[in-house]
Amino acid sequence: MKNLKQNILLVAAALSLILTSCNKDKKVTPVATPVTDGLYVLNQGLFNDNNSSLSFYSYTSKQVTPDIFNSVNGRGLGDTGNDIEIYGSKMYIVVNVSSTIEVVDAKTGKSIKQVKLFNGSTGRQPRDIVFYKNNAYVTSYDGTVAVMDTTALTVSQFITVGRNPEQLAVANGKIYVANSGGLGYPNYDKTVSVIDLNTLTVIKTLTVVVNPQNVVADNYGNVYVLSAGDYSANPSSLAIIDDNTDVVKSQTNFDGSNMAIQGDNIYFITSAGKIEVYNAKTQAISNPGFITDGTVITTPYCVAADGTTGEVFVTDAKDYSSNGTLYAFDKTGKKEYSITVGINPGKIAFLKN
Amino acid sequence: MQKKVHYLKSGLLRLSAGLLCFSFAFPFIASAQTDTTKKLKEVKINTKPLPNVQSLSPIQQVSANAFGQLSAFNVADAIRDFAGVNIKDYGGIGGLKTVSVRSLGAGHLAVLYDGVQINDAQNGQIDLGRLNLDNVQSITLYNGQPPEICLPARSFASASVLSIITIHPNLTAAKPYQVLLGVKGGSFGLANPYLQWQQRLSNRWSFIINSYWEKANGQYKYKVKGDGSDTSSTRTNGDLNAQEADGALYYTKSDSDKFNLHLNYYNSDRGLPGAVIFYNPVSNQRLWNRDIFVQSGYERLWQSSLHLLINTKLSQDYTRYTDPDYLNGQGGLNDRYNQWEFYLSGTLSYHLLSNWEISYATDIALTSLDATLYNYAYPTRFTLLNVLASNFNAGKWRFQGNLLHTYVDEWVKMGSAAPTRSIFSPTLMATYRPFNGYDLQVRAFYKDIFRNPTFDEQYYFAVNGARNIKPEFAKQYDAGITYRKALNSLLDYVTLTIDGYYNNVTDKIVALPNQNPAISSIINLGRVDITGVDAGLKTGTKTYDGWRGTLSVNYTYQDAIDVTDPTSSFYNQQIPYTPKNTIALNGGVDYKQLGLYYNQVLSSSRYYLSENLPENLVDGYAVSDVSLIYKFLVGNKPAVLSAHVDNLFNENYVIVRSFPMPGRSVLLSFQIKI
Repeated sequence: MKNLKQNILLVAAALSLILTSCNKDKKVTPVATPVTDGLYVLNQGLFNDNNSSLSFYSYTSKQVTPDIFNSVNGRGLGDTGNDIEIYGSKMYIVVNVSSTIEVVDAKTGKSIKQVKLFNGSTGRQPRDIVFYKNNAYVTSYDGTVAVMDTTALTVSQFITVGRNPEQLAVANGKIYVANSGGLGYPNYDKTVSVIDLNTLTVIKTLTVVVNPQNVVADNYGNVYVLSAGDYSANPSSLAIIDDNTDVVKSQTNFDGSNMAIQGDNIYFITSAGKIEVYNAKTQAISNPGFITDGTVITTPYCVAADGTTGEVFVTDAKDYSSNGTLYAFDKTGKKEYSITVGINPGKIAFLKN
Repeated sequence: MQKKVHYLKSGLLRLSAGLLCFSFAFPFIASAQTDTTKKLKEVKINTKPLPNVQSLSPIQQVSANAFGQLSAFNVADAIRDFAGVNIKDYGGIGGLKTVSVRSLGAGHLAVLYDGVQINDAQNGQIDLGRLNLDNVQSITLYNGQPPEICLPARSFASASVLSIITIHPNLTAAKPYQVLLGVKGGSFGLANPYLQWQQRLSNRWSFIINSYWEKANGQYKYKVKGDGSDTSSTRTNGDLNAQEADGALYYTKSDSDKFNLHLNYYNSDRGLPGAVIFYNPVSNQRLWNRDIFVQSGYERLWQSSLHLLINTKLSQDYTRYTDPDYLNGQGGLNDRYNQWEFYLSGTLSYHLLSNWEISYATDIALTSLDATLYNYAYPTRFTLLNVLASNFNAGKWRFQGNLLHTYVDEWVKMGSAAPTRSIFSPTLMATYRPFNGYDLQVRAFYKDIFRNPTFDEQYYFAVNGARNIKPEFAKQYDAGITYRKALNSLLDYVTLTIDGYYNNVTDKIVALPNQNPAISSIINLGRVDITGVDAGLKTGTKTYDGWRGTLSVNYTYQDAIDVTDPTSSFYNQQIPYTPKNTIALNGGVDYKQLGLYYNQVLSSSRYYLSENLPENLVDGYAVSDVSLIYKFLVGNKPAVLSAHVDNLFNENYVIVRSFPMPGRSVLLSFQIKI
């Protein structure tokens, strides 16, 4: 068979001389060299294209390792990596459409376990992950929060919350889950589920503006829930929840998305593509234009601050289908450097020694 | 355009991505109609049956007798060897197959079924995999437009035209009927019985009925690349259950006075296997189509050379799409779409002089789309086309020119409608035959045409009514040489064609994935420059002791580069899914009633995204098919037995990323004529 195939293919080969043809698979030899300080950028890739990737940038060598998960593990992350967090020595990559949590060694990227989040043959579509006392809590679009032991890496239970939960945050021994209902358009959800971390049950469900997505908690007993609104009658809006009484203290229209907190600073991206800072202590916008050197970012996609260095990182998703860029700024908003990352760089994780 | 949508944050675009990707709605089957113009216009240049390559516009044709040689099961298979043709195939027996000609995109190709366009107002692309070949007589691809001018205006209104002509009854009083029974089956769990009944009712009246039933589980083996597994998996949820019934009544007083009435019904239920998502390959999406149309045609040619052509069509195309796994809290998606179209066309042509013909055509189409989508626009589109065309022959020269005027107006029930459009589109074609006695012809054409935004582009999840999208323009410049010669040697004939072309697309409609649906995610952004070459060779031997050989080779070169924005990372780079080089070869040997044929398609690698980066590469492929056909008599009834092996060498390849193509498959068929 093989011979016959080769013979007949000779004709084909002769004809294909002019074809630029067949690029051989570029096999990258797995490199599992331990890495030190740096950051990981999780690139979502494109829906249905299985091209989510992980970029690593080393502060010391100033080198970018593109698609490090693939080069280390010899397989791709899959479709639409949505969240990445480091807890202890492990890094957790939440892959939405593939419905997996890839647990890897945080320093090397080497796979420890692939946790599949399925309900029968249907993917639960995990979105976001937080940690509390050696447990990981993962929201999934099927309306659950999975509870996973970070040692055994097995899911012990699913807590039912609202529809299509997005982000979640831990505060005061509780978890606050933003139930977006985003897949139910136009019938969005508009609730925040409060889970008691002792009983692992939903103890309260709060009402906010439709389509809540971002959740962050500060050091002053506040939980911030940012709703995207419905893109027509209801604009985006910020709810501030008291984590003691679990009531919504305030709900105000707020032009922003993709919140990230570092210390007292809550960074977010405005609809005009500006990076602004809200101060948790003063409860006011402390910096209406973080970037001070005129750096233009086509499509700011994700913002994150490194607590140790004080640097702020902003990703650029460009046209949402080309490789993106990561910009590093010092704390005064001046650009330090930029690197090329993957498609739709949506989340950053900082690797500390 | 579709499916590049990336939008997971709100889930909305997720929905639209899924839909755009899988509901490729409204490809309808069959519209049939009066094709009679062809017969009247045919000029016998040579008594030998030479392939018809010499025409004003580049032309490639395949007839029913060659379908078997091409191992073709549907229209997409039958034309995959054509030069300049790029088939986007999502794989499998029920998988979407669309065609882009000369890199212009599927929306710039008009598919005519017996002269009347199959219109998909929602997506603008016809699933050629759905068009069965059982009742097809010939398929012709015209770059630019057909060379005849007594045609409906829609024939002039696209960058290229794929004309499908159905089989017409051709019976005598001695044997007033003919019944064709056949069955196909093989891989994919396919069973496809079909029936054709031709009946002569009187001197003037006859009818033909075609029907088939196609059932398949659609399963095939494939190998995923990149997920670390090295084992093959089985593609599931690709089942298909389709039925079609097509009846046509013909009245022929003479070749110059005829009428037909066509009724067509198509019904299908299929699984959509979806993209093979790493670690999560299961899909439970389904698509139902139920399309019905009635159309009629009347043609009259008077002694004075006045030529009249009237066509009408009324169609309804119903589509239902479900995805039970869609996590919207309502048990998944269950969307229904309903397209209605009323079409009326009238053409008059007249020879002012024996070498000068003029024609005037007017088409009216009223098209509406209903969808069970929140805040949907429910658009109705009125299209009025007027064409003034002329053919002129002067010695060694032939000229054709036409001016098309398009008027489009739209109404919506929700939001705002797209603005009224009024656009003139010129075409000029010329051929020159430099030498007497040589069948060598030089030709050139220029065509400036556009495609209107589809309903999806205009209204699909356009939160604030219609998106502000302009039509997408395509200018084509073509120059070519054709040569054909009847030979008296071992070879019977040889034909050669080569065309070089330059196309320029402006205001290309592109979908920009976007987080916020309030901001239009579909815009007129792109500019594409396309430089290409189509070349073809056809030859065949004479018959020696029952032996006869045929060979055809087509080559396509396409340099289709994005020239939208000099500052972008993909400026001057090849547009997605466009191979630079493609070769298609078909060769065969006939010995008496036996034929053995080999088909080979070679495609160079492509990029699946705009950035021509190594990680965005989709490998090239070489796919071979073999057919064995045996014709014999059962009693005195002619019968055909054939066996086809597709993808003979079991090549593991994809055309569209994440949609693996089937490996080796087998098809057996038997047909008998009573």
